Amino acid sequence: MTNKEKNSDNYVIEMEHITKEFPGIKANDDITLRLKKGEIHALLGENGAGKSTLMSVLFGLYQAEKGQIKVRGEVTRINNPNDATRLGIGMVHQHFKLVEPFTVMENIILGYEDVENGLLTYDKAYEKIMDLSNQYNLKVDPHAKIEDISVGQQQRVEILKMLYRDADILIFDEPTAVLTPQEIEELIKIMKSLAKEGKSIILITHKLEEIHASSDRCTILRRGQHIDTVDVKSTTSEELAEKMVGRKVSFGVDKKKAKPGETVLKTENLSVYNPLTDQDVVRDISLDIKRGEIFCVAGIEGNGQSQLVYGLTGLSPLSKGRIYLNGEDVTDKSIRARSQAGMSHIPEDRQKHGLILEFTLENNLILQSYQSDTFSRHGFLKFDAIREHAEELIDTYDIRSSQGPVSVVRSMSGGNQQKAIVGREIDRGNDLIIAVQPTRGLDVGAIEYIHKQLIAERDAGKAVLLISLELDEVMNLSDRIMVMYEGENVGEFEGGNVTENELGLYMSGAKRRDQS
Amino acid sequence: MKDLYQNTLKKIANSSNGIKTISSITAIVAGLLVGLIIMLIANPAGAFPGFLTILAGGFNSGLRSMGDTLYYGVPIILTGLSVAFAFRTGLFNIGATGQLTVGAFAAVYIGYNWTFLGPVHWIVALIGGMLAGAVWGAIPGLLKAYRNVHEVVATIMLNYIGMYLVRLLILTFIYNSDSNEAHSPAPSARLPELFLDDIFPRSSANIGIFIAILAVIVIHIILNKTTFGYELKSVGFNRSAAKYAGMNEKRNIVFSMTIAGSLAGLAGAVLFLVAGKNMEPVNVLLQEGFTGIAIALLGLSAPIGVFLAGIFYGSLQQGGYYLQTFDFEPQIIDIIISVIIYFAALSLFMQRFVADFISRQINKDVEIAEGNDSA
Amino acid sequence: MSVFLNQLYFLVPLFIASAVPLAVVALGGLFSERSGVINIALEGIMIMGGFVGIMFIRYLENATDLPMQLIAFFGLLVGLITGVVFAVAHAFASINMKANQIISATALNLFAPAVAIFTARMLWQTDRVVISGNYRISSIPLLGDIPVIGPMFFQSTYLSTFIGIALFIGATIVLYKTRLGLRLRSCGENPHAADSLGVNVLKMRYVGVLISGAMAGMGGVIFVLSFATRFDANVAGFGFLALAVMIFGQWKPKRIVLAALFFATMRVIGSAYSGIEFLSDLSIPADIYRMLPYVATLIVLAFASKYSQAPAAAGEPYDVGKR
Repeated sequence: MTNKEKNSDNYVIEMEHITKEFPGIKANDDITLRLKKGEIHALLGENGAGKSTLMSVLFGLYQAEKGQIKVRGEVTRINNPNDATRLGIGMVHQHFKLVEPFTVMENIILGYEDVENGLLTYDKAYEKIMDLSNQYNLKVDPHAKIEDISVGQQQRVEILKMLYRDADILIFDEPTAVLTPQEIEELIKIMKSLAKEGKSIILITHKLEEIHASSDRCTILRRGQHIDTVDVKSTTSEELAEKMVGRKVSFGVDKKKAKPGETVLKTENLSVYNPLTDQDVVRDISLDIKRGEIFCVAGIEGNGQSQLVYGLTGLSPLSKGRIYLNGEDVTDKSIRARSQAGMSHIPEDRQKHGLILEFTLENNLILQSYQSDTFSRHGFLKFDAIREHAEELIDTYDIRSSQGPVSVVRSMSGGNQQKAIVGREIDRGNDLIIAVQPTRGLDVGAIEYIHKQLIAERDAGKAVLLISLELDEVMNLSDRIMVMYEGENVGEFEGGNVTENELGLYMSGAKRRDQS
Repeated sequence: MKDLYQNTLKKIANSSNGIKTISSITAIVAGLLVGLIIMLIANPAGAFPGFLTILAGGFNSGLRSMGDTLYYGVPIILTGLSVAFAFRTGLFNIGATGQLTVGAFAAVYIGYNWTFLGPVHWIVALIGGMLAGAVWGAIPGLLKAYRNVHEVVATIMLNYIGMYLVRLLILTFIYNSDSNEAHSPAPSARLPELFLDDIFPRSSANIGIFIAILAVIVIHIILNKTTFGYELKSVGFNRSAAKYAGMNEKRNIVFSMTIAGSLAGLAGAVLFLVAGKNMEPVNVLLQEGFTGIAIALLGLSAPIGVFLAGIFYGSLQQGGYYLQTFDFEPQIIDIIISVIIYFAALSLFMQRFVADFISRQINKDVEIAEGNDSA
Repeated sequence: MSVFLNQLYFLVPLFIASAVPLAVVALGGLFSERSGVINIALEGIMIMGGFVGIMFIRYLENATDLPMQLIAFFGLLVGLITGVVFAVAHAFASINMKANQIISATALNLFAPAVAIFTARMLWQTDRVVISGNYRISSIPLLGDIPVIGPMFFQSTYLSTFIGIALFIGATIVLYKTRLGLRLRSCGENPHAADSLGVNVLKMRYVGVLISGAMAGMGGVIFVLSFATRFDANVAGFGFLALAVMIFGQWKPKRIVLAALFFATMRVIGSAYSGIEFLSDLSIPADIYRMLPYVATLIVLAFASKYSQAPAAAGEPYDVGKR
């Protein structure tokens, strides 16, 4: 370290030798992070590396067991978010912490309200909000309710929350997960203008391109430990990735060329109605997915992808259109009937929809098939067969758990829970596998594994319908891509023939291909 | 000795239900202690002998009170089973009282009127009770499944509706104005005492205990060994996942509540198809339904646990009855039971407390297994 | 016309007497749920509050010479305090111990009448605590003399009615116009958001539950003063009806008032129908009328529950660790 770096006056935040433990896990192990005034400092690491925990310590949500924090050169204790706020530290959370039925203004002032004669007053607040909004180009309507505004606008409210409290140290936790490439550009512009005004920013992310586009320096964490702090301009993406993961990472995926066969899933003008908005949330989607290909539906969250899947699987009725599975019309069939006709489904939310957390692993693995002759007889469960089945799948799909087949699924890690679901769905041998966000929240190892499985199924002649919000995944896996925007098919592409930026434009509705 | 202690603790730590059982027992002990304290405040002289009487419970009067323990315990076992079954399938059946009441009415009505049935009279009366209870359970089930009405409020409403309805029906159809009660069921409708009269002389024990045992076994099998039970539990634990997996969650919710209702209806039938206890046209909810909630909790919602807890309750009740010789009101039993439920509600915390205690004793981290799945 | 008015003069006070405790207790339930804690122990709290309040009134009647309405006022106050204390048990279990809120509340509902009856029997060998005074105010000076409105609203009324109305208005203002109210409501919708902004979620929830205790406790006393001159550990399911009123009122105070009036109407018809000519001619049995509020609730719930407006986080214990 140079003398300049040792000089505390340059640093607005110094987290020194921070250790934070949870039962059984050392989330932060002797980490040191220093933030300069006016810089944008990226905090890079995989899921579970400890980035969010470290920032939660800084923001006062947790207290570290060891180490100290210096704010503007002085050692301070940050016991709760109030302390952090008073020190000028603010945090934009990954999962927005907004009260949905409240207005924008109420959310911004909550905990920081103006009071006159015991009653709330809003005038001063309104003025201040409008001033900040204009100064930083964060347009919002203070009287709108959170549940009525878009995700991008909600994020602006989160940022305003910080600025309203005169924060000048801003922490952004994975802010781009829910944004289009264009919105990401805008956000980076906003961050840079904040930095120019003297605000200091920590950006938690695992997206390398964004780091290069926005940050001055970057600290890399891996498994709770501090690996390195580098100057971004002089470090390549490969180097960053290697530090993040601990080994050389290939960015592409090994994939043979697709050999599509006959049609497995065909839809005609599939439309799904949303009673809350009194509109079709999926409009006239006509698909033709063949054996031996991975067909991906790309798009920003909330453009009808989930509802498309609900319509296909039978969770939602269609307002229009028909669905054919291997030539058979399944439009009016029940969820179970479609499942048995050849449709497997890896759902979006594994804990809410894919598993019963309170059940054992072996009981989760028969969730769709418990009625078959293999697992039951005259209404009675065949426990031996169930056990055998579980042991097979555990072996084949490398599902790790504390007690094998009798582990309670709740105690398993996210990656292993997902492997269990993937294994179960693939094992059923269906011709169509619908995978919705199959790698959400997983670490690189698990992601690699699941991608391999999906490609293996595709090579084995199954049809894979992949819904993904991660452009990397879309680009790497897909043989064909369809972009959904506001419920419609706005463009179809061949896997190798389109760039991320191009996709981004379609995803944000800026472009659309005419359909003939 | 120390080794035995350590080994026992280790066994408890490893068994998934060990810690839960201990916290149940702790809840019971806590309830009893609170009862003792109240008794000491109310009547210090009689407190300890009174307390011992409660503990002695069904043994106070030898075989007779043991028989009575069974007699009093059976309806509670059945209502407990009703609540426990609903719990296991994710539903709160606070309406056991209402289901019990309508079931009782149906049974008594059949018992009084259908004397032509002869030897099968009591069986038909029992079945009538079950069917009535089933209907009264199906209503909130349907409301929940198809209209998203929370079953807690729905069942509470139906408790009151049932109470008023049955009162009206009693007054209309089976009212005995001389005694201001409902007519008694005919002797052929009363539950036979079989040989129990010989084992427990002068007690009220009857075939009900075997009915209860049968119910416990049947429910245990359904919950743990059948695909039907598997579905019900799935829907109970995670309705969305069950739906995603293709199960008809709506239908299963209705089934769960119907079965729970029929169990409570059976309890009502068993309660009143006896000599010497008649239904009254009153505006008061029958307590047995609420006690069933306590029993279900204490029994960890497992059929065998419910059975044991029910017997325990029957014994406590006997204790309360004999308590009056010490100038205490039997309400003390209700107080004890309610405190036990309260502590049972703290159960998650108690389990952590017990687990920490054991951890320190055996110097190893103890995990709490969640969930009740024992398939 | 005057026959009709006379019927109204007879009925309206009954409506109000029925509606006020319902609305007050329902609003109490609202406070609790809006802070994130489901409180179905309102029935038990009403019983406890009513019991202790009535005991205190009886004591004041026998031991002092205070004017009646003052005694009533103190009785209401004692009921309120009892309610708060009793509600601590539920708050502790639900908030600190993260217990199942339905079960903890059921325990309290069983405990209250048992304790009340036990104490009454031990002290007075009876189930019923009798108070001597009839607390009905036959006519408020001046206000009671106003034509039409006087006899309807200011005659044959009770102090508790007016206190209840004042309490309701005050509570509504607190919930929607003060800082406390805003923070409390945020805890019921998104406690993590509130926590991240420095709001003490645990404290807010305690406030919510204790206020619900206060209102239910006072509601119990109001109930006894308005309906009976004795207390027998029974509030006729009012605590549960209040829950229904809250749900029917979609967790909004204005609608709760309307719901309370609606249910009170049902109840009044149920008990007073013999005084209403055309109804008594129909000779519908009394029990049917008494069932009406509960049946009405079920029907309302069947149609109102589809798109529930309940506070999003109500019923879930707040766990700091969960994200």
